[in-house]
Amino acid sequence: MSIQTIKSIDGIRFSIWSPTEVRKYSVAEITAPETYDEDGMPVQGGLMDGRLGTLEPGQKCLTCGNTVARCPGHFGHIELAEPVLHIAFIDNIHKLLQSTCRSCARLKVPQEDLDEFKKIKEKQAAYTIISQKRIPEQIIEKAKKAKTCPHCGKAQYELIFTKPTIFVEKTEIGEHRLLPITIREMFSQILDEDLKLLAYDPVTARPEWFILQALPVAPVTVRPSIILETGIRSEDDLTHKMVDIIRVNQRLKESKEAGTPPLIVQDLVDLLQYHTTTYFDNEVSGIPQAHHRSGRPLKTLTQRLKGKEGRFRGSLSGKRVDFSSRTVISPDPNLDLSEVGVPEAVAMKLTIPEIITEWNIKRMKDLVINGPDTFPGVNYIVRPDGVKIRLDFVEDRSTIAETLEIGYLVERHLADGDIVMFNRQPSLHQMSIMAHYVRVLPGKTFRLHPSVCPPYNADFDGDEMNLHVPQSEEARAEAILLMRVQDQLISPRYGGPIIGALRDFVTGAYLLTKDDTVLTIQEFSNLAMLGSYAGQLPKPGTKVDGTPVYTGKQLFSLFLPKDFNYVITSKWSKGTKGAEKDVVIKNGELISGVIDKSSIGAEEPESVLHRIAKDYGNDIGKKFLNSILIMVKQFITHYGFSYGYSDLEVPEKDRQKISDDLAQSYDVVFDFISQHKNGTLKLTRGMKPEEALEVNIVNELGQARDKAGSTADQSFDHTNAGRIMATTGARGSALNIGQMAGALGQQSRRGNRLIEGYSNRALPHYKEKDNSPDAHGFVKSNYRDGLSALEFFFHAMGGREGLVDTAVRTQQSGYMQRRLINALEHIRLEYDGTVRDPHGHIIQFLYGEDGIDVAKSDHGEAFNVNRLIESQTIIDSGKKATKDEINDFTKKYTKTFNPRLTRLVTENLLESKLSRNGVEAVCKKGLLLYNKAKVEPGQAVGIITAQSIGEPGTQMTLRTFHFAGIKERNVTLGLPRLIELVDARKKPVTPAMDIYLEDDGKQSREKAVEIARNVLQTKVSALLAHVDTDYATSIRFALSPQRLSDRGCTVKDVEEALQPNKKFKVTTTDTLVTLNLEGEPDAQTVIAIRNKALNVTVKGVPDIERITLLKENDQWVIQTTGSNIAKVLEVEGIDKNNLKTNNVFEIASTLGIEAARNALISELNATLEDQGLEVDSRYIMLVSDLMCSRGYMQQIGRHGIAGTKDSVLARAAFEITVPTIAHAALAGEVEKLKGITENVIVGNNIPIGSGTVDLYMQVSKKR
Amino acid sequence: MGVKKNQVLVPDHAFVPKHEIVSKEDAEKVLKKFNCKPTELPLIFVTDPAILGLGVKPGDLIKITRKSPTAGESLYYRYVVEV
Repeated sequence: MSIQTIKSIDGIRFSIWSPTEVRKYSVAEITAPETYDEDGMPVQGGLMDGRLGTLEPGQKCLTCGNTVARCPGHFGHIELAEPVLHIAFIDNIHKLLQSTCRSCARLKVPQEDLDEFKKIKEKQAAYTIISQKRIPEQIIEKAKKAKTCPHCGKAQYELIFTKPTIFVEKTEIGEHRLLPITIREMFSQILDEDLKLLAYDPVTARPEWFILQALPVAPVTVRPSIILETGIRSEDDLTHKMVDIIRVNQRLKESKEAGTPPLIVQDLVDLLQYHTTTYFDNEVSGIPQAHHRSGRPLKTLTQRLKGKEGRFRGSLSGKRVDFSSRTVISPDPNLDLSEVGVPEAVAMKLTIPEIITEWNIKRMKDLVINGPDTFPGVNYIVRPDGVKIRLDFVEDRSTIAETLEIGYLVERHLADGDIVMFNRQPSLHQMSIMAHYVRVLPGKTFRLHPSVCPPYNADFDGDEMNLHVPQSEEARAEAILLMRVQDQLISPRYGGPIIGALRDFVTGAYLLTKDDTVLTIQEFSNLAMLGSYAGQLPKPGTKVDGTPVYTGKQLFSLFLPKDFNYVITSKWSKGTKGAEKDVVIKNGELISGVIDKSSIGAEEPESVLHRIAKDYGNDIGKKFLNSILIMVKQFITHYGFSYGYSDLEVPEKDRQKISDDLAQSYDVVFDFISQHKNGTLKLTRGMKPEEALEVNIVNELGQARDKAGSTADQSFDHTNAGRIMATTGARGSALNIGQMAGALGQQSRRGNRLIEGYSNRALPHYKEKDNSPDAHGFVKSNYRDGLSALEFFFHAMGGREGLVDTAVRTQQSGYMQRRLINALEHIRLEYDGTVRDPHGHIIQFLYGEDGIDVAKSDHGEAFNVNRLIESQTIIDSGKKATKDEINDFTKKYTKTFNPRLTRLVTENLLESKLSRNGVEAVCKKGLLLYNKAKVEPGQAVGIITAQSIGEPGTQMTLRTFHFAGIKERNVTLGLPRLIELVDARKKPVTPAMDIYLEDDGKQSREKAVEIARNVLQTKVSALLAHVDTDYATSIRFALSPQRLSDRGCTVKDVEEALQPNKKFKVTTTDTLVTLNLEGEPDAQTVIAIRNKALNVTVKGVPDIERITLLKENDQWVIQTTGSNIAKVLEVEGIDKNNLKTNNVFEIASTLGIEAARNALISELNATLEDQGLEVDSRYIMLVSDLMCSRGYMQQIGRHGIAGTKDSVLARAAFEITVPTIAHAALAGEVEKLKGITENVIVGNNIPIGSGTVDLYMQVSKKR
Repeated sequence: MGVKKNQVLVPDHAFVPKHEIVSKEDAEKVLKKFNCKPTELPLIFVTDPAILGLGVKPGDLIKITRKSPTAGESLYYRYVVEV
């Protein structure tokens, strides 16, 4: 056996090639602009020189002698006639020119300061890690300002940088261009020590190497030429660009030798600079793009690397794979939940390698005889010597089957029972890829059980899905252990079931379990068998006309675990205002109530399904669901359930009522309008009359719609299919029924009625300023009767908003998800329970602060104490345990628990009626469950966090400017707010504060108003009656006494506020404030002065634009629009300790990083909660802890966490690819390959999850 | 990140958890417990308003006692760094 040495990459160092290195690595100097000669042979010294590598098969490389497969290609070089600047380093060149002395090349910072910085750098003290990183920018900032060099005393000149490549110095004699050659000269004199201070690594990157003297020529393998069908060679874009460079270089060289006037030579140098610039980057602003003959811009080096389809994201982070397939999906409720139906045609292309053993040789021989075109068959045979036989070309398969021996490998067709991975994009969470068992079926689509649609977010309107076949035993084992559908029943986002009954399954369950459903013995046994019930038949529960029959509830009960007890209120009961807690299951018997969405539905935490999956394990949970679903499906199929036009027929009496009610509402609206005209409309505080009218109309019309809807809804009896579906939660809602049978209601755009589109009207069919409901999109028809043309148009207007919103939202939330993943992908749980990045930086000391895995938790709790006690109570006997006994037990068993859980357990036990033994049993079971629910080391907690926050983003509404508390204040909510928070913006779009008051302010309104006045910013402009401007002498502000008293200001206040301005003198007479202008300013200055004076703050806190007083929990609270926490804290009478703002950044600077973390958590929670999305608090804590882990708020994105990652490759793969690499080169950074992206890029296993585990062996020492 | 002059400090704000300086010996123990270098801990600036009144210097370790929705109470450590 030969031992293969496997080389693995330890790290990658980035550096810049010096001209010497360029020449050293070059195998050929390229001088000829031609590529191939007439015979089609590569020109010697041309761009396709044979020494640069091989392209055609069979051809041997002139340098290394290898053929295409093994020759890596070799670099050549071009000697440039004049040096040119490297565009990727242009910013660094600029900064260096600004900060170094033009004559002595030292940093223009006094030596003492440099020494100081050096000391900080050399001290290497742990607490300087942040300050060290700021040294370069501080030095550059200082050096830029120096007028003379502190080292040699020479005067420094102003530098003008014209983008992209021209530097000009402004000297006493005039403007003087700095040529690359001079820049190079200057840079070569910069001291290594100075460079180190600027975070350069002088060994790997001297700044003079930013100026190119020799240009490397990429190997031909990087820029292969292709031969078109016509036989014409077509060269790569890079080759084209190189040809340009060589041509200009040649001309430049010749004209220099010929002594051409310098002006023309300079033009040629500039041209050479242009060509080299576009060779590196063809999207530089300020210069024209280089185009192909066809007009298409050339794709040069930078363009190859960056962007979604670039090398990093397109070819390195994402690779195409074999053993995969994709086709349309369709539903099949007869499948098992964990199965996927694979078309035979697909099964015959996808193969599984199987080694022949004693035990499978017979089966394999049969498969080989079947061959590649008969299912089940074999496509390839691999002999132990490595020879691969393709069975397509084998004439006689039975002979070859006979030659099969143990140890041969057979690539057989996919067959029933194989494990495969099934995926639907976008893969927003871990349940987007699950392992299914194969079921080979006829047809051309992948089949899946309708109940696994929610985790994939799939439907069957043409969706396609992908299927991957794991090829190794390890991969299959991992898939079976971690990824099967039954292991994904519980969503890690909220610790509840994500898979469950849907649509008709729910309806069916209701129809089966409702009180009057009876089944004959035949029906009962058939259905029980279908649900794979294998026990004895129970006794029929009731009699109809003397014959014993079973109830539907009995059938359902067959599949419940025998010791299962449970109580819940069904959705149906809530919808029909029935009894609470109607569903009662006692000892595995459904006693009362109907089974509907709240018992077995998808995405319903605390349901029967959830309890079974949690208490009895995922496999039993899946089995239960499978049995119920298939049975219920059969039942509803035979029962016959449909919904159609006739089910929406409303009796004439109710139709009349609907139209009467609508007419009445119209009258009310018209009444509002006339009241508005007369000015008698009752105004709500803080609203203009128009706004108040609008609000009134919208409210009235909303009520009208609801009333019409409920009239229609009520007219249907409880056997109406629509009502059944709506009340059981199978599909639709009462609102939908109302819209179909009652009235459609108000159509809206951005939450408002359709007010304008044409001048003063929504559509040209109405009169201008017609304010009637009809004119602004109120649809009084319903879907059943049909809409009028105008109504239809309004409806389409509203409908379009929905479409646009969805399109925009998917983009925004997709990008947010990408950023979250990038920031968190490398965060994992370590063996000591801490959460760290791969470089050892601690993010949390204990995951989620309690070390519990949400996916293994019970709706966020380690275990459900109440349930444990409940089920124990049923079997418990004996007298109640004493308080001391309970305390003893809890002390003994809850040692490892966190304080909250211990308290929870103790409190609940004390309240229970359990005996001594019962208490101990509960404690024991609790401890067991607690230990099971802990997170496992290696867990990719970061990725799960990112998914749990990103995935709900897609479900959020985009633009809900929603009125919080009072109608006057609107606050950003939904997706924009979520993005704003993870962006760590300096200022939210709608800053707002809640100010609570101290002592008397809480109760007395007067006191509260006084404080509010001190908070609200009052500018001079808010106090004026009118302004009178004399452009020559003075500005006169006439103050309004009414406004002064409203704001609690005096004339004196205004005078004092204006005093500090030196441009005028203030004099006051009564309420007239006169600003006597100094000097003789022109009109424009007067206007400027006046505007400035109008904006002067007289009273209150800057930035607090509006305030509202409201009573909350019996105390006065000031709500503000605008936030300025630092200044509000100075106001007397407020409750400083409970001051709230939604500006997290402000909190970080006034209350500290820990407060910011808490504020961030509460804001994230509030945003998600408002949208009705459940996300476990552990995820929100992790994101917040990560964002605050460096002592300041870091953004989730390129300027924050993703941008400060240690890995060069990970940063380059995220965004700003080329500058990242350029910077890595000049700092001599080393890629240590510890994170995720890096290892994907180089093709290693990723160090997370099951990849964290390594096998080490201790070699025993010889004695 | 700097602190403004005359800033009002609110160490008892509902959002500000308890910050304490950890003694040198205890700091050693913490580092040992988590087997890490000080730079691998979460950081806090010396100028952070929550620790301004405590007389901290760069290099100190701060123990933070947080209220936790999951655990009731939890400990967090931050290493004090220069701005």
